[in-house]
Amino acid sequence: MFELISKFNKLKFINNLQLLIILILVVVLFISLYLGISLGSFQISFFDYLFGNDSKLQQRVFEEIRLPRVFLAGIVGASLALSGASLQGLFRNPLADPGLIGVSAGAALGATLVIVLGSSWVPSYIFGPFILPLSAIAGAAFVIYLLYLFTKGFGYSGITYMLLVGIAVNALASVGIGILTFISTDSELRGLTFWTMGSFGAANWLLVLPAYIFIIPAFIWLLNSARKLDLLQLGEPEAIRLGVDVRSLKFKVIITSAIVVGISVSLSGMIGFVGLVVPHLVRLIGGVNHNYLIPASIIFGSSIMIIADLLSRVLIQPAELPVGLLTSAIGAPFFLWLILRVKKT
Amino acid sequence: MSIVGKNISYEINGAKILEDIDFKLNQNEIVSIIGPNGAGKSTLLGLLAGDILPTSGKVFYQGRELESISIQDRAFLRSVMSQSQQIIFDYSVKEIIEMGWIERGIAKYSGNFSEAVTNIADECDLKKLLHRKFNVLSGGEQRRVHYARTILQLWRHSNSNDERFMFLDEPTANLDLYYELKLMNSIKEKAKEGYGIGLIVHDLNLASIFSDKVLLLKNGECISYGEPSEVLTAKKLTEVYGIPMKVNDRTKRITYY
Repeated sequence: MFELISKFNKLKFINNLQLLIILILVVVLFISLYLGISLGSFQISFFDYLFGNDSKLQQRVFEEIRLPRVFLAGIVGASLALSGASLQGLFRNPLADPGLIGVSAGAALGATLVIVLGSSWVPSYIFGPFILPLSAIAGAAFVIYLLYLFTKGFGYSGITYMLLVGIAVNALASVGIGILTFISTDSELRGLTFWTMGSFGAANWLLVLPAYIFIIPAFIWLLNSARKLDLLQLGEPEAIRLGVDVRSLKFKVIITSAIVVGISVSLSGMIGFVGLVVPHLVRLIGGVNHNYLIPASIIFGSSIMIIADLLSRVLIQPAELPVGLLTSAIGAPFFLWLILRVKKT
Repeated sequence: MSIVGKNISYEINGAKILEDIDFKLNQNEIVSIIGPNGAGKSTLLGLLAGDILPTSGKVFYQGRELESISIQDRAFLRSVMSQSQQIIFDYSVKEIIEMGWIERGIAKYSGNFSEAVTNIADECDLKKLLHRKFNVLSGGEQRRVHYARTILQLWRHSNSNDERFMFLDEPTANLDLYYELKLMNSIKEKAKEGYGIGLIVHDLNLASIFSDKVLLLKNGECISYGEPSEVLTAKKLTEVYGIPMKVNDRTKRITYY
């Protein structure tokens, strides 16, 4: 197997072991997809569906509830992990994460604005179901722009500094969400709690399909910058001397992060720590170069989120845990461990 | 062909860092920039390499204004080794060296990638370190890895006669005597192969022995520029460094204690 890979590995900046890991992660992704589709409070056999041996009800649950939900979890996990990996590279900071630095909060604030105020300002027939994702993207982009200003163009100003800015931005966004919660009606409030805890319960094809259409090109767009992110690790002046247009690279990473996190948050609420934890696990397994890190994070993030969603559905059947609670419960201790590790070096 | 700096001055907030410097670096030539701390050596190197723009004056690469050359094209013409920043993630030594490989977009180069990396690692005595983590290396070892990266950036086929220039900011800092000499000899070798090399160095004897020309800076002004024997005189050095310097007439060795 290994020899076969080394024979076909013509890629320069990814080694045979890393290629093997990516292949294994793809297999893991398919297994989690299968588990995510089959298990739940309503058992569905994927193979029964495939061969038409299931009932009408099973078919409807499968096509309209289970499948879009699993696919949404997959793309959201991939988006958060990709955003974490590329932001960590851009900031040259292992603690960067769309949640910690406030990007997710910005997206949630954007979405909240639309939920509470939107209906009176923008007639829903203009953007229809897309006004929410668009507003979330704008919120995410705004926060990243603020960070850009505060860190003087993402110059390296130390880990603590950026985290402090993130805390402040998070606090400001919570104030905004708090005010909006206060003035919201009961039905709006139900929608709001959904944002703060995160859930894939609202998945439907009308929203999941456009998400794929926007997010996948963003992935591809960023993938070809992987090597530039490696060169950036030498420091900005060095990267420029090696021919990297650092300004356009920053722009690219920020815009992609805003798009994928904005869309993800708008569809599933705030799901913490996936963007932080997944790239670190991927680095621990196979190495730090971005040509490996970025695709591996996308694939692994996707499987982890599908499994997390599965757990949130089956742990306390027939009720459902908000998936954001679950990821934070696992991710927060990991974050503490990471801080201790970074402090040591 | 050459790199030329014409009347270049550089100011930060009205404070003059460099004033009216003329500089010329030809192929096959090693030019050393020397001077006390704060003389503007690194700033001059940054201006010549294109990191910063001069407040007045111009830098020309092969007769073209540096500003008009895209940063991608510059990467093929010159490489720079400077005092580097800390690298956060755990890259291997091999990966750091490979960062010097700039994509040439031509298939005939890509086949030689691993060959080029292996040869250069060999040349720089880094073969045993290739799979170690860069961050656990000593300061001197890290410098050698960066030097290897700087060479890889300008790698060409042996039959190529492309013009290439290297700027090195204190390349021998932290190196032990063995590797200091090895690196200086490697630089000399590169100059013979056709590279033009601009060098900042603190050791005046190294500058005297290895350079073709020396530029002596003090407080942003060029005190003297020319052959080592013209610039490195006891009188000029004593004046610039503020300590009594002696130059042995026969061996040209400079002593100051």
